[in-house]
Amino acid sequence: MPSAAVIGIGMIPFGKHPDRSIVDMGAEAVFLALKDAGIRPAQVDACFFASGFAARLFGDITIGQNVFWELGINKVPVVNVENACTSGSTAFYLAYNMVAAGQADMVLVAGAEKLYVPELGLINSGENELDTQLGLVASAGFALRATRHMTEFGTTPQQLAQVAVKNRRHGQLNRLAQFREPITVEEVLASPMIVEPLTRLQCCPNADGAAAVIVCSPSIARKLSRAVNVEAAILCTGSYENPQDLTHWETDYRACGLAYDKAGIGPEDLDIVECHDAFTISEILHYEAMGLCPKGEGGKLVERGETALGGRIPVNVSGGLLSRGHPLGATGVAQIIEIVTQLRTEAGPRQVKGAKVGLAHCMGGDKAADTKSCTIIVLSV
Amino acid sequence: METMIDIPPVIPGIFTLPPYDQTQPKLLGGVCPACHRYYFPRPRYCKGCLGQTEEIPLASKGVIYSFTVIRRKPPLGLPEPYSVGYVDLEESGLRVFSLLDPAAIAQLRIGLKVHLVVESLGHDGHGSPRLRPYFTPITGG
Repeated sequence: MPSAAVIGIGMIPFGKHPDRSIVDMGAEAVFLALKDAGIRPAQVDACFFASGFAARLFGDITIGQNVFWELGINKVPVVNVENACTSGSTAFYLAYNMVAAGQADMVLVAGAEKLYVPELGLINSGENELDTQLGLVASAGFALRATRHMTEFGTTPQQLAQVAVKNRRHGQLNRLAQFREPITVEEVLASPMIVEPLTRLQCCPNADGAAAVIVCSPSIARKLSRAVNVEAAILCTGSYENPQDLTHWETDYRACGLAYDKAGIGPEDLDIVECHDAFTISEILHYEAMGLCPKGEGGKLVERGETALGGRIPVNVSGGLLSRGHPLGATGVAQIIEIVTQLRTEAGPRQVKGAKVGLAHCMGGDKAADTKSCTIIVLSV
Repeated sequence: METMIDIPPVIPGIFTLPPYDQTQPKLLGGVCPACHRYYFPRPRYCKGCLGQTEEIPLASKGVIYSFTVIRRKPPLGLPEPYSVGYVDLEESGLRVFSLLDPAAIAQLRIGLKVHLVVESLGHDGHGSPRLRPYFTPITGG
């Protein structure tokens, strides 16, 4: 028996929104989620707001209160969440647990971010971190894994590129995605080298954007035809053991295993997956952690087309981070929105037929060759 | 003229400071005197027993486990391009993240034997030069 459900979703197109503030974008996403759920602001018991970089880039704090104020949501608990790329999915995790614990019946989760700012540069895991001071940018952490995976398992640059090509093909079908032009393997490999072996088209672009969902108790969800059940919401932090095997994140496997146990399912039960394809290599490593293929065979999985729309287990049918862009705080929420949309069979041209069980996977931060945060959300109808 | 001794380390306490008259520069890690776990960087407490760790110089030699070359937008005044990687250190067996010699990018490969160097490399984010450790190929390695 699921402990909570998603009853409302709202998202604005991800892309360049130079004239809009984080609050403005976040408020619209919340408005859309309230309308989708058909509930009034006064029915909301608590709110979580996620942003990864807003405090750093704009000097604002407690932005969630500003966002929810735009909708007249007041008096209830509001919590601001930062957990790197998993900020949004961490906010969802907290909302889920609040509902599951019986502390609230209706909880709003919103994430918003504005990353198209001058001189952002390559992002890192914290200015004062030792690794950052020694030159670790986020993309390099993934490139080091790609190098190792290619060496140990023979994963090829073409297989990496196929992740980008597939996700862009999916993104073509999503009007909320930022980049919708098809690309070829040749174009991906010929785009400028950013961090070897990852070319520009293998790195998720920045984005401005916002997304919101409403989580509620099963007793309320039961009366609603478009409710989607939350079977599991898992959050794991790294083990930081040394040495780390860079061909995978142990934390990734651990989080997926916990989610499968909690949901009482295995990878063979999944109909659709959204995963954290921040870079092409990430998606390949996540296939393996999620058990969609044996370890080392992620490159072959995408090559065979099994993770494309129409394939055995479609991954990132929304277009993924590679097509949407990655407004940190909004990303984890957007992934959940895609799964909810698919399970409601409201995904239009990119609908995965007969989708009943979906998984949203997100990962963020880098420390001691491990990830700082990995979230897995399992949803079902 | 500014010598290496006048330039501050990028972060204090993570490598031995110049002059290196008699010894090679070394990374400073931590070891738990009770359960003999090694760490880099050094945490305040040992995760095995919560005892206080002690500072220990780590082997200056190791082998490249993985590496990459960053070709765009180098942060902190680092050269374009520059290289980073993970190096498996002798003795402790720690796998440490590090800069790799930007002048040796063409030679880099997994399994290459390297040793530690400390030089003025990049700045502190505000334009002031900083000493940074990096690994460079051992000649004939």
